[in-house]
Amino acid sequence: MDPRPTILVTGATGFIGGWIVETLHLTGRARPRAGIRTWTRAARLGRFPVDIAPCDVLDREQIEAAMQDAPIVVHCAIGSRDVIVEGTRNMLAVAESMGVKRFVHLSTTEVYGEVSGDVDESCPYRWTGQEYNASKIEAEQVVWEYAKKGVPVTVLRPPIVYGPFGKDFTLRIAHRLESGQWGVFEGIGGGMCNLIYVTDVVAAVMLAAEDDAAVGEAFNINGPEAITWNEYFERFNEALGLPPQRTIGVNHLRLRAIVMEAARAGAKSILTRFERPIKALYKQSSLVRSRAVQFEKSVISTPRLAELNLYNRQARYRDAKARTLLGYRPRVDIDTGLELSVRWIRHLGIEAFM
Amino acid sequence: MTRGSTPRIGLIGCGAVTEMLYVPALRAHRLLGHVILVDPDVRRAEALARLCGIRRWSTDHREIICEVDAAIVAVPTYLHASISLDFLRQGVHVLCEKPLAETAPAARAMIAESTSSGAILAANYTRRLYASYRKIKDLLSEGRFGRPLSIRFVIGDDFKWPTVSGFYFNARLSSRGVLLDRGSHKFDLIAWWLGAKPILVSCETDSFGGPEAVAQVKWAYDGCEGDVKLSVLGRLPGRFQVECEAGTIEGEIYEFRRLVVTPHRERPTILRLPSVEAVYADFGNRLVGNFIAAVAGDQAVFVSGRDVIDSIEFTDECYSAAKRFTMPWYDVVEDVRGS
Repeated sequence: MDPRPTILVTGATGFIGGWIVETLHLTGRARPRAGIRTWTRAARLGRFPVDIAPCDVLDREQIEAAMQDAPIVVHCAIGSRDVIVEGTRNMLAVAESMGVKRFVHLSTTEVYGEVSGDVDESCPYRWTGQEYNASKIEAEQVVWEYAKKGVPVTVLRPPIVYGPFGKDFTLRIAHRLESGQWGVFEGIGGGMCNLIYVTDVVAAVMLAAEDDAAVGEAFNINGPEAITWNEYFERFNEALGLPPQRTIGVNHLRLRAIVMEAARAGAKSILTRFERPIKALYKQSSLVRSRAVQFEKSVISTPRLAELNLYNRQARYRDAKARTLLGYRPRVDIDTGLELSVRWIRHLGIEAFM
Repeated sequence: MTRGSTPRIGLIGCGAVTEMLYVPALRAHRLLGHVILVDPDVRRAEALARLCGIRRWSTDHREIICEVDAAIVAVPTYLHASISLDFLRQGVHVLCEKPLAETAPAARAMIAESTSSGAILAANYTRRLYASYRKIKDLLSEGRFGRPLSIRFVIGDDFKWPTVSGFYFNARLSSRGVLLDRGSHKFDLIAWWLGAKPILVSCETDSFGGPEAVAQVKWAYDGCEGDVKLSVLGRLPGRFQVECEAGTIEGEIYEFRRLVVTPHRERPTILRLPSVEAVYADFGNRLVGNFIAAVAGDQAVFVSGRDVIDSIEFTDECYSAAKRFTMPWYDVVEDVRGS
């Protein structure tokens, strides 16, 4: 019989969940059980001969079946507010009833909201009005509720996670840089870009799952270097082998963001109302397809207003607690992380940016 | 079944392709009343039967073999051969989803059984019905642009097929992925256009023991070389290019009515091709209509099992020779082990 523990990972078709499953499999450290909501997104995961279990976090029966004989749970599933909050509640309720030995909850530094300066775990929650921020705070509150009931929980708060298979801060940024419409943002891009390479997050998850000192605690985790967003864009641009980016003034950028925000809302409304005829036209007409791709490129290469706030945020998330209590040490510097990300992007092919 | 009578049809598998392609096609041909649905998941079979007004359903295809003249086999690929063989052995005609079988030996067994029982074995290789691909076949056969020098396909997307069983990605069920699923069409077109099986040069995939999501195949044949890149991990152009001695033919993979032809030293010309099909589902109507006419003895099938054996053999060769891509982002995982 295999003596290694089984670790159930929810959200296993996602960026971080996928890396946790793959790492567990490749290192042989434990037996991963990949919890998925739908098979449609399981192409990446399927490449590994791992145990895959249906685990829609809004379905208690599926959770109970997936958690059978899994003493450790790593909860990465995200989605709507319901998935984030009620899904976490469902997971914890089943974990409590089944007596799991360790429950690691993947949260985010976004729970600290719009802050500046050094931010450690003693900082309070701050609401920004964004649904993701509010949902992740609410989910953490559910976690602490179950901690009081005796569930051995640990909360990890990574900031900007990048690396192969990452969409938000890897593929999308690369696509933006390739578009020629991105740049160095004068007056905005000087905020701190708290980058952590994805396998450093995975390493922190392993420590949290194995070290008794992690129980009942929340930990910030961060990467090894402190750079600004503009520096990130420049270094990523260089790693992609692109010509230097232009400098874009704050007023021009805000205007573009406001116009595109309206265009996004308009396009969404039209798509919702006329989805079928638009899809039919898209399939039948190469002109419509090329126009749609152009529009999509413009949308992607224009930052959202909320992103402008992020690029200007002067916060550095301190991970001293994780270093002291868990021995956490981020290993992948930004140049290495970017080089690996670019190798992966080239492997997939340029259009995969979309 | 007597000539002129309506065939009784077993529709095996109640997954996405049945809902999206076969049920509408059978409805268009007014054949739903002669259909027995089969799916191991009784709830799925019953739900689809009620939705379509089908009166009989079953959870086991073997129960209905004696009740049907023809079967449409639309089950996960790894089951194509075994289920089709059950029908063919009893003389029941089969229209099987693509790829015909997971392996060449399984496909050959199906063809042999069809030959010995006299039952039709048709295969759903819809791309051969596209006006664009048929035009290329004609241009190459006529030698209008001379001999082909290279044929390239690039296709990729984030997998969006609403798979119910998840068989595409479940290593417990099959270790064959995008090469078998998406590659089947491309390799079939290449072999059809060339009139022969290409010779494999190299094959790389990203499999770690489960079904691969990205694959790249290079091949050659009689002075022509080519490569095929396939991905279900991100969007790739979805284009093909046939370079010939006297010009180039290009197109989009799913654009079945349009080609761009560029004779040497001339400007590109867009060929707009006549097609009775307006959308993808229309090919299902034509395919099912052809199969039913073939069962009645009125037509030959568009694509038989024998027609696609070259591409299935080639796919087997790809898997036998496959090497893993260099993927240095997984080397970092060793650091995680040591942390």
